[in-house]
Amino acid sequence: MILNDEQRMLQESMIDFLNDQAPVEAFRTLRDDPSLGAYDQQLWRGMVELGLPGLTSPEAYGGSDFGWLGMGAVLEEMGRRLTAAPVLSSVVLAQELIRHCASPAQLEDWLPPLVMGEHVLTAAINEGPHYAPDRLETRWIDGHLSGEKTLVMDFDGADGLLVVARDAQGDGVVVRVAVDAPEMTVHSRRLMDGRNYASVVFNQTPVHAHDVLAGDAVAAGLARALDITAVAMASEMLGGARELIDRTVAHLSEREQFGVKIGSFQALQHRCAQLYCDLEVAASAVYAALDALDRQQEEITQLASAAKALANDCFQKTSSEAVQLHGGMGVTDEMDIGLFLKRSRVCNQLFGSSDFHRQRYASCLGI
Amino acid sequence: MDQTDDLSLFRSEIAEWLEAHCPLSQRQPIKRAEQIWGGRKRVFYSDDAQRWFEACRDRGLTAPDWPVEYGGGGLTPAQTKILQQEMARLSCRLPLYDLGIWMLGPALLVYGNEAQKQQHLRAICRGEIRWAQGYSEPGAGSDLASLRTRAEDCGDHFLVNGTKIWTTAADKSDWIFCLVRTDDSGPTKHHGISFLLIDMETEGVSTTPIKLISGESEFCQTFFDNVKVPKENLVGELHGGWAVAKELLKHERKMMSNPESMSEVFNISLTKLAQDAIGLDETNALSSPEIRSRISQHMMRDAAISQLGMRIFQQAKAGVSDPRLPLLMKHIGTQETQVKDEIVLEILGAEGLSFDDDAASQQARTMLERWAFNKSLTIAGGTSEIQLNIIAKRVLGLPSGESA
Repeated sequence: MILNDEQRMLQESMIDFLNDQAPVEAFRTLRDDPSLGAYDQQLWRGMVELGLPGLTSPEAYGGSDFGWLGMGAVLEEMGRRLTAAPVLSSVVLAQELIRHCASPAQLEDWLPPLVMGEHVLTAAINEGPHYAPDRLETRWIDGHLSGEKTLVMDFDGADGLLVVARDAQGDGVVVRVAVDAPEMTVHSRRLMDGRNYASVVFNQTPVHAHDVLAGDAVAAGLARALDITAVAMASEMLGGARELIDRTVAHLSEREQFGVKIGSFQALQHRCAQLYCDLEVAASAVYAALDALDRQQEEITQLASAAKALANDCFQKTSSEAVQLHGGMGVTDEMDIGLFLKRSRVCNQLFGSSDFHRQRYASCLGI
Repeated sequence: MDQTDDLSLFRSEIAEWLEAHCPLSQRQPIKRAEQIWGGRKRVFYSDDAQRWFEACRDRGLTAPDWPVEYGGGGLTPAQTKILQQEMARLSCRLPLYDLGIWMLGPALLVYGNEAQKQQHLRAICRGEIRWAQGYSEPGAGSDLASLRTRAEDCGDHFLVNGTKIWTTAADKSDWIFCLVRTDDSGPTKHHGISFLLIDMETEGVSTTPIKLISGESEFCQTFFDNVKVPKENLVGELHGGWAVAKELLKHERKMMSNPESMSEVFNISLTKLAQDAIGLDETNALSSPEIRSRISQHMMRDAAISQLGMRIFQQAKAGVSDPRLPLLMKHIGTQETQVKDEIVLEILGAEGLSFDDDAASQQARTMLERWAFNKSLTIAGGTSEIQLNIIAKRVLGLPSGESA
């Protein structure tokens, strides 16, 4: 559950790279200019040069098989800087869907372009306002896709779309669709976290069988890919919470009222201390899940639910507290605190809210 | 043979030994009345308990990580962890409960002189002497350093006068380790405190039990009236006892953060209790959605707190310790224990409202006692508020104000 020397070196080089290429100001530039798309292409090319898209993929497909604790450290650093890049969508979610649902021949064909960063895919999971991957309505029948998907990440920067659906028998399938496919309506916009998401309506969109991942492995593969992505999302959220605590402590140590630093007030100290305790508890759940992935543990549902639920709660509370502890400045757009606050609420809905994961964890416990 | 092989060999050896020596009756969740405490007044609950204690004592497993020359097992931290894992796997009970093992011994190993180590450590490991703790006073709780029990230098001995409160089981203990004031002219109130070991059979020592909200009396008040204590019972520097006290508190907080290592190991399964008391609906979910969510949240956090403990252990093993993390454990662990206790009480409903109603089940009464006892966890050993002060200043580096 702790980083080894190699992983620490990766983390350090990532910190240098992100400090240089993607400080929070870079995210602001992206947010304030819709013409820039879902993410900065130059930043993404830099990440590709560093080998980031292949971090968790097997060497046989061009990856470095560096493992999930390392990837978690990278995502934490991105979370600290609100870095927008197709890492969660393409590197984690799309690659994992393919890895766990594809046949060997499809793997050979689909995976390497993603691992090399030549292609960027995103995935359409959600339907309606809430995450409920067990209740898919979207159907792929007779070579045509029908249904409505929401909250598709990074759509404007993707070369294609993996759509999770069911076939005529009700079995899970993963369908590859071009971003400009016919009989498909896209509503692409930014949400309050300043990032690009799309709602997509498929109205008998034609899809060839060779663009479909189907078979016995899909149900379990889909569940695993989503669990892994939930853990990865939680890693990013930890980074956000860590950054907020650092910034809040720095503010309280500088700001003076009544002739003293306000950080010397016990009421404020205790709130910060409690936030830090909750952060390290959530972090431990996330690291345990990443560690289980690196040990190839088969059953990770329970660990993934704990990681995501605790990270949701932690980031949500920390961001609300950070706004309050920054006083009036906390509600201005000039301060970055609000950017983290808004990001936290979007992250909560991606790959499962706390309620979703608490209920699922309870089911794992048999209650 | 490399280190990993050594450890797996150790694991199989210790598992075999436990299998051979731990009686089946000692592989049940512990009840308070069946705990093995040491001391001159020691009583074994059963022959099995005595056999289990003696087997462990003779192999040094009552204090597995202490040096062999003082009666310990001489195990490395990695071996100790393996022992704990194997004992947990077989549900082996602790062979000896004692504040000497958990608190005084580790401090003596750092601050005691050779004669003190020789005199006391082996007696602790062998369960011959039971120790009480004399820290808090009626006027010195969270502000421990304002303590006023005085030890006057009388040449060949100290003369001790004063009183200590919350002295756990002092009426059943043989010796007490105390913080006493030897000087109050120093620059701070922390200076001038000394750490003394006192034989409770010495003339002038007396104890009175304190009745608690659970109806039990686990704590006492202990009085010192012109008690003569030999000079050689001073641990560490004269006036420098605060350093010893802090070392010891570290071990106390570590112990309290993990309720399973504490005096009452009490393995109720929250999920089983809820299934039995509340029932499942047609989807196999607990009939109360609210209790279901609360149990789920608690179990997640509880697991994550264990994982935090594991992180601290792995960091230490790899030589990359983050010194901030252990400072969180006492507050986090005790807070979560109380969350669990409140859920239990709510599940029990009217079954869990009496300490002595014969109509209530023994299990319900035990859980109620635990709920009441555990209220002390966030007070003893440094209150949660003191822990948060420490985290704010020493972990986060927030500026000092008026609070301690």
